[in-house]
Amino acid sequence: MKKILFLLTCIAATYAANGQKTLLALDENNKYIYYQVVDQPNASRDSLDRKAMSFNRGIYKKGKAILTGDSVISIKDKMLTYSVLAFVKHESGIIKYTLTIECKDNKYRYWFTDFVFAPYYKDRYGNFVPQPGIAYSLEKAAARLDKKELDEYLDQTGAYCKQTGDGLKAFMSQNHLSAKAGTQPVKKIIIKKW
Amino acid sequence: MKKILLLLSLSIIVIMSSRAATMPADTGKVGTTADPTDPPLIFSGSVDTYWKYDFSGHGNIPTSFASDHNSVSIGMLDLGLKKKVGKASFVGELSFGPRGQEQSLPDGSNALDPITTAGVSSYHIQNLYVSYDVTDKFNLTAGYMATFIGYEVISPVGNFNYSTSYLFTNGPFQNAGFKATYAFSDKVSLMAGIFNNYWNTYTSYSTHTNALTAGDVSTFGAQLMLAPVKGWTAYLNVASGSYSGTEFDLTTAYQVTDAFKLGLNAATFSAPNNGGGFSGVALYPQLAVSKAVTFGIRGEYFEYKNNGNVTGITVTSNIKAGAITLIPEIRFDNKSTAFPSTFVDSNGASTNSAAQFLIAAVYAF
Repeated sequence: MKKILFLLTCIAATYAANGQKTLLALDENNKYIYYQVVDQPNASRDSLDRKAMSFNRGIYKKGKAILTGDSVISIKDKMLTYSVLAFVKHESGIIKYTLTIECKDNKYRYWFTDFVFAPYYKDRYGNFVPQPGIAYSLEKAAARLDKKELDEYLDQTGAYCKQTGDGLKAFMSQNHLSAKAGTQPVKKIIIKKW
Repeated sequence: MKKILLLLSLSIIVIMSSRAATMPADTGKVGTTADPTDPPLIFSGSVDTYWKYDFSGHGNIPTSFASDHNSVSIGMLDLGLKKKVGKASFVGELSFGPRGQEQSLPDGSNALDPITTAGVSSYHIQNLYVSYDVTDKFNLTAGYMATFIGYEVISPVGNFNYSTSYLFTNGPFQNAGFKATYAFSDKVSLMAGIFNNYWNTYTSYSTHTNALTAGDVSTFGAQLMLAPVKGWTAYLNVASGSYSGTEFDLTTAYQVTDAFKLGLNAATFSAPNNGGGFSGVALYPQLAVSKAVTFGIRGEYFEYKNNGNVTGITVTSNIKAGAITLIPEIRFDNKSTAFPSTFVDSNGASTNSAAQFLIAAVYAF
C-alpha cells in the first residue's frame, strides 16, 4: 500500500513538475511576445546579418524572410497546435507568427510576435483542416477559447518559440558561413591512416 | 529491489510521456518549415446520443438518424486513425451504432444487393483510403470515402443540426473509387475521379443474380472548389453514371463575420432510365452569440420529381462545454399531399405537417 501511494505521489509530482508555465510575455502594446537578447562577442554586425539570413535560407527553406530595416529581418511562418480537451492528440489549429531578428556588433536579438490562431475542424474525409474565414490574434483568443485551451496554446507557442530560438542561437554561434547553409560536412573515415 | 526498479521504470515512463505531451507542436502537413518531420499518428472520433419527441406522439419525419421517438437512443461511436509519412498517408475510420451502421453503411456480406440489406454484417467503414501527394498541388486518393457531394455529413461532429436534411438523406453517403485533385492555387482546385457504379457500396455490383455478371467502376465524379474571398468556399459537384444516375450539387459557405456564417446547398438528381429524381435547396444561417453558444436555422425546400414536395424549418443551438456539444433542436416539416412520406397526428389521422423536439449530446475527441 505504501508503495502504491509512493508511486501515485511520484506520478502526481511528475505531472506537476511538467506543467509548463507559458514562456510568452506581453510587450508594451499588450501583445504576446517571446523576446531574447543574445551576446555574441567578437562578432561583427555584418557577419551576424549573414548568419541570420543563412538561418532563414537553411532552416526556413522557403526563404520567407523580408528585410524590414537595416540589419532587421522578419520571417513569417506558422506552427501547428494540438488538442488539449481530448485524451488523444490531433491537430487543433495553426498559429501564424512573425520572427524578427536584429543584429548589432557583438550581439543580436530576436522575438516572436503577431500570433494569429486559426482553428481546425475535422472534415468529412477524416482530416483536420482550417475553418474557412476564422482567425484571431492570441490576445483576443480569451473571448473565443476556454481558459484551459488558451493556456495550453500559450504553452505550446512558448515551447515552440524556445525550441526554434534555441536552434537559431546554435546556428548563430557556429562558424559555418563558408559551408552551404543548412548542411553539415559529412564525416569520412580515412582507412589509409590507422 | 524489483519493486523499486518497477517504480523507477514507471516514473521514467510518466516523465517521458508527459514531456512528449508538451513538446512543441511543430509537425504536420501544414506545420512549420522549421522542422518538417512527419506528423504523429492522429487518433480522433466522437460519441453521440439523443432523445427525440415528436409532438404527434409518433415518429414522423423520415430523414436519416435521430429516428427513435421518445427514447434515449444512441448515434454512433466513431473512431478514426490517420498517419502520414512523407507524401503518403492513410485514413481509416470505423463507426459502431445505428448512425454508423445500418442507418448509413452498406452490408459487407451481400454483394448482390448491399443497399437493401444494409447493416446486417457491416464492415463499419466510414472512410478507408490511401492518399499520395505527387506534388504540393497534386494528390491521388483511392479507397472508400465520404462522398464529395452535399453540405451535411454522417458524423454529428461535422453538422450543425443534429437531424439531417432531405437533400442529405437522398444523396450519396459514400463513394468508393479513385480520384485526383489538383490545386491551382489556394482559391481554386479541381477533383476528378472514377467511382464504383453504385453509391454507398464497398464494391461495384450488378443487379443481375448471375454471379458471373460483374459490376463496374463507371460513375464519374468531379468537384470544382472556389474560394473567391476570405471565408467563402464554394464546391460545384457532379456525379454521373448509367447505374447511379446524375446529381449536380452546389455546396457553399461564407463566414461573413466572426459571428455570422451563411451556408447553402442546392442539388438536382436524375435517376437512370427516367426513374425520377429530386431537387432541393437548403439555407443554413448561423450566429454565434458567445464563445459557447451558437444559434442556427436550416430552411429547406425539397421535391421529388412529379411526386410532391416538403418544406422543413429546423432551429438548432450548439452549446459547447469542453469537448461536449449539447444540441437542442426543434423542427417543423410541412409536405404536400403527394409527397410519399406519411405524417400522422396525435389521433393517428393522416396530416401534412409534423413537428419534433430533440436534444443531443456529442462528445468529440
